[in-house]
Amino acid sequence: MTAPVSNIGNDQTIRLADVRKSYGDYDVLKGIDATVARGEVVVICGPSGSGKSTLIRTVNRLEEINSGSIFFEGQDVHAPMSGRDLNRLRSRIGFVFQSFNLFPHLSAVDNVAMSPIRVKGVPAAEAREKALKLLDRVGLREKAESYPAQLSGGQQQRVAIARALAMEPPVMLFDEPTSALDPEMVGEVLSVMKSLAAEGMTMMCVTHEMGFARDVADRIWFIDGGQIIETATPEDFFKNPKHPRAQRFLADLRH
Amino acid sequence: MIHDMIAIIDEYWLLLLIGQYPNGPLGGLANTLILSALSIVIAFPFAILLAFARLSSYRALRWPVTVLVYVTRGVPLLMLVLWSYFLVPLLTGADVPSFLTMLATLVVYQGAFLSEIIRAGIVALGQGQMDAARALGHSWFGAMRYVILPQALYNMIPSMLSTFVATIKDTTLGYVINVPDLTFAASQVNNQLLTQPFQVFLILALTYYVICWSLTALTNVVERRITRRRAGLGPRRRGEIALPLTPKVTEQL
Repeated sequence: MTAPVSNIGNDQTIRLADVRKSYGDYDVLKGIDATVARGEVVVICGPSGSGKSTLIRTVNRLEEINSGSIFFEGQDVHAPMSGRDLNRLRSRIGFVFQSFNLFPHLSAVDNVAMSPIRVKGVPAAEAREKALKLLDRVGLREKAESYPAQLSGGQQQRVAIARALAMEPPVMLFDEPTSALDPEMVGEVLSVMKSLAAEGMTMMCVTHEMGFARDVADRIWFIDGGQIIETATPEDFFKNPKHPRAQRFLADLRH
Repeated sequence: MIHDMIAIIDEYWLLLLIGQYPNGPLGGLANTLILSALSIVIAFPFAILLAFARLSSYRALRWPVTVLVYVTRGVPLLMLVLWSYFLVPLLTGADVPSFLTMLATLVVYQGAFLSEIIRAGIVALGQGQMDAARALGHSWFGAMRYVILPQALYNMIPSMLSTFVATIKDTTLGYVINVPDLTFAASQVNNQLLTQPFQVFLILALTYYVICWSLTALTNVVERRITRRRAGLGPRRRGEIALPLTPKVTEQL
């Protein structure tokens, strides 16, 4: 087996090469080829069941793949590696879940500070101080001592974003971050994501928020049936989608 | 009746408290407490390890432990006690003190029950918490220690308490292999008195009740404290009116 070719220098943070995954006979991903450049914001959209969430979960190996490869900063994510190497790799990829998955037994500030302390060995006082800064950044400084159960969905998701940022990842992945929220709370989460994008964070977002896609995305991947069937800038995608399936998807959204 | 019991305690309190000690082995209430405490303290981490093995993706770990748990849960404790008592010396040739035999048997038996409670607590949390911890770079054990177990064990306090109380009560079975515990001492007292079995065994029952009740009360305090902390309320100050946050299941045990 040849060693994976390094991508560093050609500005690709994430590269997917013929990624395939199936559950038994059912093919979820049927050969995904794509790249995400440093600082790029990619929005992945498509009908439900198209494989969007599975795809994004393969990038930090929360899901295994059957064939193909995924490179993160030149490193093959799905190559055989020690648990320690995989943990180190994952700690460099921020992940935000649809269902927040905050740790309910920890206060907001401890949710954010815990992993830097336990995974990276950052001194507790330092991690806490930085956690407070991150909470300030997502507008929740005054909720630092609150527990997840005392926070609204939008607040929980903002804490979850701060928690992912605490590991200082060069990339953030979002798996439908606003789908579990009440409509009036979607805006506060999206504005945090917008400000992240404005600061140059490399982002992959699975979302149904087409307003966000239009305003923030550099590129949109439209997925259907386990394949990327259209890649376009937001302008092209919304004005004249080429693939009939994408046209139908956008038409359905307008109703 | 009450006078009889007071007279019995007055006469035999030292025997009931520490057995024949220092002229013989430590026994009585002291030994019961030591046996109970050791059983619980050893069975608890042992049960966590069993639960991990039952959840493991490695068959070599999962299958033997599954068999152990099923067999242990399906056999009366008394059988296990007698087997350990007769078989271990026969197989190893070692003369194991009955106290150790009882301790080991209780650890395995209650550990099996406890492991299923802990496993249920872990499974009930769902995959999301583990995913979140792993995505942040925690190892499997790190995720267990800092994320999963603090929640699973807290949620399972009522069920685990039942097992702890059962462990204390099961120490009485040590009587059949001559572990000099409180039951053994009470039975000695009864053999000397001959005419007052009801009084003697009522004292015994009341003592066990107080021990088990104390453990329940202690657990309630711990659970309440954790609940208050997680609700962000901090420790309750004196004089403040207690507000029931959630009904305490353990209080009904």
